[in-house]
Amino acid sequence: MRDLYQRLALSPNATPQALQSAIEACQHNALKQDADAVLMLPERRDAYDSVHATVSDIGRLRSRLGLTHAAHWQGSVANDFSLPPDNAISRHDELVDRVSHAVTLYNRWRRFRGTWLFIATFGIGACAGLAAGVALCMRLWAA
Amino acid sequence: MSIARFSPFELVLLQSRSQVDTATLLLLAWVLVNRQPITDGQRRRRLAQVTAQFRHGHELGSVMDIAQSQDLQAIQLASEVLRKECTQERSLSIMHQAIALATDDGTLSLANHYILRFLADLLGVTPETLSTLFKELTGEALKGPEDISTEAYWRRHDPQYYERKAQEAAEKEQAQARAEEAERQQQAQRQEREQEKQRRRQEREEKARAKRERAQQEKAHRRQQKQQDSQQRHRDDQRHQHHEQRYKQYKQRPHAPPDRTSRALAVLGLTQGANRSDIRRAYRRMAQLHHPDRFFSESEQQVALASARFQRIKNAYDYLMQTYR
Repeated sequence: MRDLYQRLALSPNATPQALQSAIEACQHNALKQDADAVLMLPERRDAYDSVHATVSDIGRLRSRLGLTHAAHWQGSVANDFSLPPDNAISRHDELVDRVSHAVTLYNRWRRFRGTWLFIATFGIGACAGLAAGVALCMRLWAA
Repeated sequence: MSIARFSPFELVLLQSRSQVDTATLLLLAWVLVNRQPITDGQRRRRLAQVTAQFRHGHELGSVMDIAQSQDLQAIQLASEVLRKECTQERSLSIMHQAIALATDDGTLSLANHYILRFLADLLGVTPETLSTLFKELTGEALKGPEDISTEAYWRRHDPQYYERKAQEAAEKEQAQARAEEAERQQQAQRQEREQEKQRRRQEREEKARAKRERAQQEKAHRRQQKQQDSQQRHRDDQRHQHHEQRYKQYKQRPHAPPDRTSRALAVLGLTQGANRSDIRRAYRRMAQLHHPDRFFSESEQQVALASARFQRIKNAYDYLMQTYR
């Protein structure tokens, strides 16, 4: 399976008009015929697009997992859908990083909870006492 | 340090009792999603049936939803987990389950062709093992995926469209042939009409010419009669001479010359009443004008044309010299 969009230098969501003009300008006769048969009828284009989306996903997965030269990935599919490796790091490593980060935060919270609770209680009590004192003063002044 | 929240699949994976089972579940759900004619309920029941002895310990619904949305990052994570923690036997059994799910309805969809091969590469299953496994499970050899990007694929899968198209083309051709036939008939009629018109014009011209000649003859006759009247007064002995003169006049009277003579005269640029010396002079002038040697410096075609003209002039002159007097 070839990537007709790539070979016509178009994006997969190109408009029918853009497709038409690209197909007319195409120099390669076999490609022109195939693209005309596959992409110019809406229902065929839909079918092609769904397979195209899946295969591009697989191509991206393979490039991220280092499987672009595997035994089951050969011929025109491998030629057209193998993407250059992007710099997305391994999802599993990222997950492990995030979990360990969360664990560190949680542990820190647990460790300092007593101290923080004491400080918070003291602060809240001081604020309440201050407020009560101010209110009392105001009332005495008014009387 | 990332501040993004945990994605739904990451949460499911963290809560799972067995990460490998959860990852397998997602990949099998992905295979099922790409199997076309099937409802959500059927999909869930089938998945539950296949994964009955899995130990993940969470609901299938959330994983089904993630697979339905074709979340590439979740699938990548699942693949990584699977690759990291899968044993040889386990990978064969996963392949087994994936093939069973993909070929439930007897056919393998195009997307699943690629997904199965991806799983095989991921799990380190060689092509021979995969095809053997496939043959054992379905009773058919694993063929390569059909190429949907070619016209040939659609000729096989959508023959009605091409039949319709061929029929339309044939009809169009017939209509064109009919139109051509009609046009040819019209043209023939037009030609006939034109010929008719030309014939009529010729007839008219001939009539007019005949009339003119008759008028001329009458004129000449009248003049002669006048002469006769005037000569009536002359002596009788002149009568013989008069007869002779009349006879001469009669002979000199221009009766309609043959067509070829007038044409030959026209070629030399002369009119009816020219005498032999006129003809000779005209021939000399025309020959000087149209002699092919004059066009020697020009193209070959010019020379050929000139020689054709010269030939015509010479023929006309020869003819006139023989017959004209």
